[in-house]
Amino acid sequence: MKWVPTDIETFAKSPEYVDTAVIPLLPVSFDESIKESATMAEFTTLLTSQLERQLQGRILLIPGFSYLKAKKQEALNVLVQWEQEMLDKHFKHVFFVTSEYDWKQHEASLKGTLLWIPSLPLQHMDEKSRVSVMEDQVRQLMNLFIQKWREQESV
Amino acid sequence: MSENRVSRRQFLNYTLLGVGGFMAAGMVMPMARFAIDPVLKANAGGDYVATKLKVAEITTEPQRVDFTFDQVDAWYESEVTGTAWVYKNENGEIIALSPVCKHLGCTVDWNADESNPNRFFCPCHMGLYEKDGANVPGTPPLAPLDVYPHQEKDGILYLGSKANPREGA
Ligand code: FES
Repeated sequence: MKWVPTDIETFAKSPEYVDTAVIPLLPVSFDESIKESATMAEFTTLLTSQLERQLQGRILLIPGFSYLKAKKQEALNVLVQWEQEMLDKHFKHVFFVTSEYDWKQHEASLKGTLLWIPSLPLQHMDEKSRVSVMEDQVRQLMNLFIQKWREQESV
Repeated sequence: MSENRVSRRQFLNYTLLGVGGFMAAGMVMPMARFAIDPVLKANAGGDYVATKLKVAEITTEPQRVDFTFDQVDAWYESEVTGTAWVYKNENGEIIALSPVCKHLGCTVDWNADESNPNRFFCPCHMGLYEKDGANVPGTPPLAPLDVYPHQEKDGILYLGSKANPREGA
């Protein structure tokens, strides 16, 4: 489900089925890494929206979390609060999806699952390979989610 | 001097008229779009879309078929990808099922759960459907999978751009 009123209505009707929140992490910077940031942000946004289409019955896609790339620690502090709020209020699983490898070193500070997917230079691909590459990535990402759900259900 | 002033006023008048004209055009164009869009939408709903699948290649084993078509949304026109599970049933009839789970809309997969072979499986809440699309009682979905209308043209499978609830369900 997406962060739009119609989806939220469905969510409100059967919240017990939607136990997973997904937060895309979108870097912003204005130095020499500006282009890289934009590529990562676009890729992560696209990937998570495709993922939402596949697993919409169980995940709620939170609006992208944009942060200053140079201020990772501040971003992390806020993110920890977001996560706590989501776990307290409703969700059993929280997933962060990012293309920025840096986040990996902060994984331990987060209770949820941090998924790092390297971004691909989509703007250099033709339409067809773009679609098939994305599909591939989405499928891999989906499997990680399903695996996580299975782990919890078998406990 | 006085002539000069008149022409300056004229100039201003013309300019204002020009701007006003622009504004009027700006107002009419979006309205025309609103008026036209529903028509386009209705058309898109009734059309059949060619898939890349030849009818001869359809087997009794469901296979995934993707097809793309243009959809006019409220704000922009976009290419939409539809997916269907296509196979021939025992009577040789072509069946094209929508992969959208009738519970909360996840995408179902054929034969994906080891303990439930030859069924459609929804990974979100373990929803199950028989091969003909019927929901398995005791799992969350309460209705059978939607069905795409289909046509055959020059040996190619065409699918409707919108799946419908199964008749008699
Ligand atoms: S969305 Fe398919 S079982 Fe819930």
